[in-house]
Amino acid sequence: MGLGPGARRWVMPLTVVCIVLGGMLGIQVRSQEERGEMRVGRQTSALVAMLTRNQAQLEQQGAEIERLRAQLAQYEEEAARERGLVRELQASRILLGTVAVTGPGIELEVADSTMRASAGAGGEDLFVVHDLQLLQITNELWAASAEAIALNGQRLTMGSAIICSARLIEVNGVAIASPFVFHAVGDRDKLVSALNIRGGVLDGLRLLEFPVKLTPKEEMTIPPIAVAPKHTYAQPVERETKQ
Amino acid sequence: MIAIPFAALIIGFLAVYVLLPPVPPRWADYVAIAIIAGLDAFVGAARNWLERSFDEAIFISGFFVNMALAALLAFFGDKLGVDLYLAVVVALGIRIFSNLGRTRALLVSARLEARRARVPAPSD
Repeated sequence: MGLGPGARRWVMPLTVVCIVLGGMLGIQVRSQEERGEMRVGRQTSALVAMLTRNQAQLEQQGAEIERLRAQLAQYEEEAARERGLVRELQASRILLGTVAVTGPGIELEVADSTMRASAGAGGEDLFVVHDLQLLQITNELWAASAEAIALNGQRLTMGSAIICSARLIEVNGVAIASPFVFHAVGDRDKLVSALNIRGGVLDGLRLLEFPVKLTPKEEMTIPPIAVAPKHTYAQPVERETKQ
Repeated sequence: MIAIPFAALIIGFLAVYVLLPPVPPRWADYVAIAIIAGLDAFVGAARNWLERSFDEAIFISGFFVNMALAALLAFFGDKLGVDLYLAVVVALGIRIFSNLGRTRALLVSARLEARRARVPAPSD
């Protein structure tokens, strides 16, 4: 194409259009960069900082609780020994989960399904372990007369809630993630057969290729609950004294 | 001659990128769709030029009006809760693609014409 008047015709409009188009590309690139930064950079670093700070605090407070509890146990024992209540106190503590316990039992490990990678869009929910499945397993363990249960190191006692919190699961207010490891002290054969019952939770999980590892153990130790359950409203009913 | 519009493109980009504060994220979708509409007008103009039916008035008006209309349509779609945004993207995408294809065909046939004129076809 030569430089005749015909050729010059398109230079002006094209220049105008190019300035506008370039400007709009500039706007878009700029705002996309800003958006990406906002979403990933700023938020993540702030959250990580908050998390580490809170974790350090939590550990510190856990140690403090441990110390105070040892002290309390000492006092209680001294007081109870005189009245011959040590055994009852010990039993209550075990059931309440405020002392570490040891004994025979089972270890159960459940992780997210290996089928997850090949699953199509939207099907992912089917292949991760949910709070409901953990609750079912816990229920099965209690039903098989487990005396103490821990999930990923969190002692399960009365008042231990297993809830779904975003992509994680929260137990006793502590976030845990796959793989989930249950420790339960109790009658090993009873626990194993209760978990392996046909059509039970583990059956369903194995069907979808969740890795499930169930091993009976000679002896294991289960940690105490970090914060003992409190009561504010409940009061014991006064026993009527019959004359 | 081609360098002037090209320089304008870069100048426009840099001017806005360096000088303007980022637009609110809500607008980003409308700007994106306006860019697609602009690209469509651009490719359409290239095709018209090769077909010798290029008209600067149609080009300029088409560029700005289509940009505004595309963004407006997407905006109304958002207000109505209908994804008109997708309709605009699909329609413009198809048009850009078909115009590019037509442009390519015209360029190739023009080159073939030129070669045929230079080398006489072998007689058989």
